[in-house]
Amino acid sequence: MLACRLIQRDLSSYLDGELPAARAARLEAHLRTCQRCREEIAALEGINDQIRAVSHDLQVSQDFDQRVLRAVGYYQVTRAQRQRKPLTKPLVVVALILLALLGMIRHFFSRTLPLPARAPVPAVSGLAPAASGATMPDRDRERRR
Amino acid sequence: MEEALRPRLVSAERPVDGQALAAASDVELTAACQNGSQAAFRELLSRYRKPALALAYHMLGDAEDAEDAAQEAFVRVFQAIPRFRGQAAFSTWLYRIVTNTCLGRLRRRREKISLERVSEPRSADSPSHQVTNALMTRQVLSMMPPKLRTVLLLRVEGRLSYREIADALGLPMGTVRSRLSKARTAFRKLWLDLSESGD
Repeated sequence: MLACRLIQRDLSSYLDGELPAARAARLEAHLRTCQRCREEIAALEGINDQIRAVSHDLQVSQDFDQRVLRAVGYYQVTRAQRQRKPLTKPLVVVALILLALLGMIRHFFSRTLPLPARAPVPAVSGLAPAASGATMPDRDRERRR
Repeated sequence: MEEALRPRLVSAERPVDGQALAAASDVELTAACQNGSQAAFRELLSRYRKPALALAYHMLGDAEDAEDAAQEAFVRVFQAIPRFRGQAAFSTWLYRIVTNTCLGRLRRRREKISLERVSEPRSADSPSHQVTNALMTRQVLSMMPPKLRTVLLLRVEGRLSYREIADALGLPMGTVRSRLSKARTAFRKLWLDLSESGD
């Protein structure tokens, strides 16, 4: 029984012809004496046939190649176009991004910078206010005096 | 310009040296593809369309989906062939691309293939027991964990050696060996379970 368990680990590789020669010889010797393992290997062998039988019936569409070649042709043409394409499109995109950035910067500063304080009225000869805070009515009063 | 390019690039006419192409090895054909030979690509396509489709069909469980996946894989092959260095056999590389394409589709689909979804292969005059066996095979494969199913299909459909499967999937040889053994055991168990539940 123990021998069967050890052998069964190798059955799959043996079927695929991937078992080292020494182990394959040991397995073959075991198979000669063990009916159960012979049945096991026959069942495993059937799996390959079952899977291949399904795909054996598969039929490839008549236009399979044409569809692949069309897709390949389209890929080649678009790749050729990409390689030949001038840089105008990327440049336009970069210019648009820069314009948008400039617009955003301008908008940002116009909203966040404080309004300039009202500038004092420039001094005109003879009409200079007495004090920096003097207003027009004050100046009129002074003139009248 | 496009009109001038199109016939040269995608012409479906048979090459003059068709016999030479048919006799060429995969290595020679891939080298010719890398030099821009469309005819060499067509020859590779004709050699591998059926096994690629079979692998995709077993992985996806739907004939139409499998065709789309196989076609997508061939287009990817064409796109990547300039970078193919020949470290693995062309078939190993192709099956890896088919496998990845199918796994991507399965991830997008995010569902296990149900019995309803399993479509029959396009076949002519299949006797009913063969159809039943085919459906059961499909069902069993769909119930297997993808890791086990992939190695089993690469071995059975792709006829890749353990070394090639290991290269294709980036696995150690020992893992391939044990996964294949587990895959066959799982297939057999699921088959027996399904047979009993169907009786």
